[in-house]
Amino acid sequence: MSTRTPTIDEDDVPQTMMNRLPAGFKPRPRRAHQLEQTAGPGSPSRHELSADMLVIGRGSAADLRIESDDVSRTHAQLQRVDDEYTIEDLDSRNGVFLNGLRVHAAVLRDGDQLQLGDVVFTYTEGT
Amino acid sequence: MGFFVRFWGVRGSIPTPGPRTRRYGGNTSCYELRSDTTVLIFDAGTGLRELGISLLRNPPRAGLELHLFLSHPHWDHIQGFPFFGPAYLPTTTIHVYGSEKNENYQLLSGQMSNAYFPVAFKDLSARIVPRAFKNDVVQAGDFVVRRFDQKHPGGSAGFRVEHEGRAVVYATDSELDQLLTDPEGPSRNPRTLRRLPAAVVAPMKNADLLIADAQYTDEEYPKRIGWGHARSNTVVDLAIQAGVRQLALTHHDPMHSDRDVDAMVLTASERARSIGAELEVFGAREGVTLRVDRE
Repeated sequence: MSTRTPTIDEDDVPQTMMNRLPAGFKPRPRRAHQLEQTAGPGSPSRHELSADMLVIGRGSAADLRIESDDVSRTHAQLQRVDDEYTIEDLDSRNGVFLNGLRVHAAVLRDGDQLQLGDVVFTYTEGT
Repeated sequence: MGFFVRFWGVRGSIPTPGPRTRRYGGNTSCYELRSDTTVLIFDAGTGLRELGISLLRNPPRAGLELHLFLSHPHWDHIQGFPFFGPAYLPTTTIHVYGSEKNENYQLLSGQMSNAYFPVAFKDLSARIVPRAFKNDVVQAGDFVVRRFDQKHPGGSAGFRVEHEGRAVVYATDSELDQLLTDPEGPSRNPRTLRRLPAAVVAPMKNADLLIADAQYTDEEYPKRIGWGHARSNTVVDLAIQAGVRQLALTHHDPMHSDRDVDAMVLTASERARSIGAELEVFGAREGVTLRVDRE
């Protein structure tokens, strides 16, 4: 019985796709998530979402400010977790409606319609 | 004090990830009902994994105390448990509620025998405590939970959850169509109100929110009789008879795309309107939280 340690000639190792990128592979360009305001004061407008957290409201402290009496000073908060945005009602007077349903919070999906008072947004998921 | 309901898994039978189900979600049954101090979990389908991740983002210093209610131990209601992060922490306590024999607890642990999963149930670090209902009622934190039997192969339980004058009913895996007072009624005239016995309606009475299995359309159901799930139109009629305020259609069929669920919600909503009921109908969707005590 041989006690010689087997050696591997690199030329004998089969080349698999495991250690090579497919020809033509390149990472896809990233596109930001967006809110498009389609109704209410300030519409039409488009807002690219890049912050991890932002507040929508009428007050001066809001990151996305809406000049509408139907919108509370700090109406709702958008928070990014694992590259998904969640909207949360900040105890607003008129609530947050997701595709017509009043919600406390919701992870947003492409094409969702959000209503805050007389303001309507459409959410577009980025990549 | 708030009363919140979050949907973590709304799919029936088997997880269905993919673009067709992205909006409503592909995880199987898991629902979180919480107040400011108590967390209740209904069913441990694959949605439980994400709930675990969320709970561990900001765990209380004293550790998590969770109350887990299982409707029944079919796969789509227990499969997430081995992947539930808090179960691996010694600071977590999980109360598992079942029947007085607590067979659900045994079946929950049985799925972690080593032929099926590499970690044994006994090796989980959390304190996992079997609990039993007494006379079908139990106090869990600041909630009162009442269980009731449902029609399903092997049996299943529904739950009425009460907190500070509000009530949410979780009633999945229930073949209501086998319990109709006039079983032939829907084939004679699908539009006529489908009456259910008073004992079936009673647990849902005046609920603020009914989360109910509505897996099939009227057209699909005849080929699925005995499978243990309801027609969405029949669920609407149950909600109307019980005076429910909001109805969440759930346990979405794995074959149904987001567009199919949209169509079922529309049909169900039109049915409620045509009967003259003030009932809000929507499709349960992963990642959505409702606040029940607000309106």
